[in-house]
Amino acid sequence: MRTYLRLLWTFFRISILGELAYRASFWLQIAESLIDLGTALAFVSVVFSSTRALNGWSADELLTLIGVYFLIGGTINMIIMPGMNRLIEQVRQGTLDYVLTRPADAQLLVSIQQIDVWKLLDVVLGMALLVGAMLWHGGLPGPFQLLAFALTLLAGAVIIYSFVLFLATLSFWYVRMENILVIFESMYEAGRWPVDIYPGWLRAILTFVVPVAFAVTVPAEALTARLTWLVLAGTLLLAALALLASRLFWRFAIRYYSGASA
Amino acid sequence: MTAATAVNVTHLRKVYRVYEREAGLGAALRALFRRQMQEIVGVDNLTFTIEAGEIIGFLGPNGAGKTTTLKMLAGLLYPSAGDVRVLGYVPWRRERAFLRQIALVMGQRQQLIWDIPVIDSFELNRAIYRIPPAQYRHMLDELADLLDLAPLLHKPVRNLSLGERMKCEIAGSLLHRPQVLFLDEPTIGLDIVMQRRIRDFIREYNHRTGATVLLTSHYMADVEALCRRVILIHHGTMLFDGDLTRLVERFSPYKTIIVRLQEPADLRPYGEVLSQNEDQVSLRVPKSAVARITARLLTDLPVLDLSVEDPPIEAVIEQIFTQEEVV
Repeated sequence: MRTYLRLLWTFFRISILGELAYRASFWLQIAESLIDLGTALAFVSVVFSSTRALNGWSADELLTLIGVYFLIGGTINMIIMPGMNRLIEQVRQGTLDYVLTRPADAQLLVSIQQIDVWKLLDVVLGMALLVGAMLWHGGLPGPFQLLAFALTLLAGAVIIYSFVLFLATLSFWYVRMENILVIFESMYEAGRWPVDIYPGWLRAILTFVVPVAFAVTVPAEALTARLTWLVLAGTLLLAALALLASRLFWRFAIRYYSGASA
Repeated sequence: MTAATAVNVTHLRKVYRVYEREAGLGAALRALFRRQMQEIVGVDNLTFTIEAGEIIGFLGPNGAGKTTTLKMLAGLLYPSAGDVRVLGYVPWRRERAFLRQIALVMGQRQQLIWDIPVIDSFELNRAIYRIPPAQYRHMLDELADLLDLAPLLHKPVRNLSLGERMKCEIAGSLLHRPQVLFLDEPTIGLDIVMQRRIRDFIREYNHRTGATVLLTSHYMADVEALCRRVILIHHGTMLFDGDLTRLVERFSPYKTIIVRLQEPADLRPYGEVLSQNEDQVSLRVPKSAVARITARLLTDLPVLDLSVEDPPIEAVIEQIFTQEEVV
């Protein structure tokens, strides 16, 4: 575990050094993040100019949700997505062979192999939003809520990670999978609203097909004290199952890649 | 298997299953639902042993099965049948202890990261292989010295020429001081000077570390310079395993007689004239007839000088592969 953290840190350090050479992308990212944030906030203010609550969510609670959206989205886009996009590229070019000859866990290596440092900005914005929402709400959430929040946040990230890994791993069979990651990214945008405002069929999709609900809505519910024990336990269980399933699928895919199965 | 054996392969076979479809839109649409599968034999019934410290050349035309063999030895492909041991390990299990002792370099596929300086990619390998700092510095110095890397290390990979990049690719793969090297066409696309440079380096590395080197190359010069022993693969099967010199003896039914005469003469009755300039003539004659024809030349003509040579290895190998193609 410590080795992998050190490995992650090495990737991170190298990415920072590499990215510092491209100052333009820093400013671009600032612009992008601010536009994203501005759009999200504008929608919220429009909605709340005509109503006091959206399906039971008050303005400050919705701000919390947007904070979580940025926090999780930033993390995924910083660490997971670049690595997965590169994995698809590696499968196509045959350079995955190099990853497989390394004396380290291949799944872990591909997951952290590329880091988009500037997405850290989204993470920071997300945290700032969360703090802002808390101040506006007036008062810190209780220790139980904070713990539930931390747990569901982690679980949400794990669920999304497992899901994206699953999609990227499909590239072992279907060589062109970049598009499916783009589809995922646009589905994730639906997560900036609580899933219970959507009609039933869409809510079902966002919960079980593209598990955005678990990544964004559930942690926000935890922080705004509307999470039930059942949902908390279910989320944690689902995260564990998703991680296991994606791991098994990855290993199956590697066996297929080396011609050991199918 | 003795301690000195690095690679042990018995009756190795690899069958690929590939989907194929006929040309045309209709076939393409049908293939969306039902795909035709075909089995292709990559390599079949390979058996050989390599001693630690040897440099072995794998020769064969494109698609002969060289890369397939290397990949099975490196643990990337699962054999369909037969047994492989490298340093006593079963490669496809990809145990850490095994992976730590091997390195794979593919001339056509790049592993350094495009946008970052070379030294950072090296740093990543250091972290992945968990090379102790002192050993890393020592190895880096040694490699930088042997390959003249100092001016390249801090440049991003995309700014390097192909030759410079190849030097860095190789150096990056050796930082953990592997015991077995798999080099798949390491000199492809390089100019003559750089090819020689890489070749010298491989020899030097082998010399210094006693590492076993398995090399495939299209350039005969690589193999002639580095390998005493070669394994010839064609259509997935082994045609030859042994000394390079014996390869020629075995496969070329001809020898070349070079004679220098006092005055020009027509030598066509003695054999096939390969070249003739002024008083020097090269004759191709069947190996079995060399003694007889030499004797006749010496008695019939005013010979100043006469020598018998093997044809160039490159020509012999080309001949083997083209003959096989016809059969």
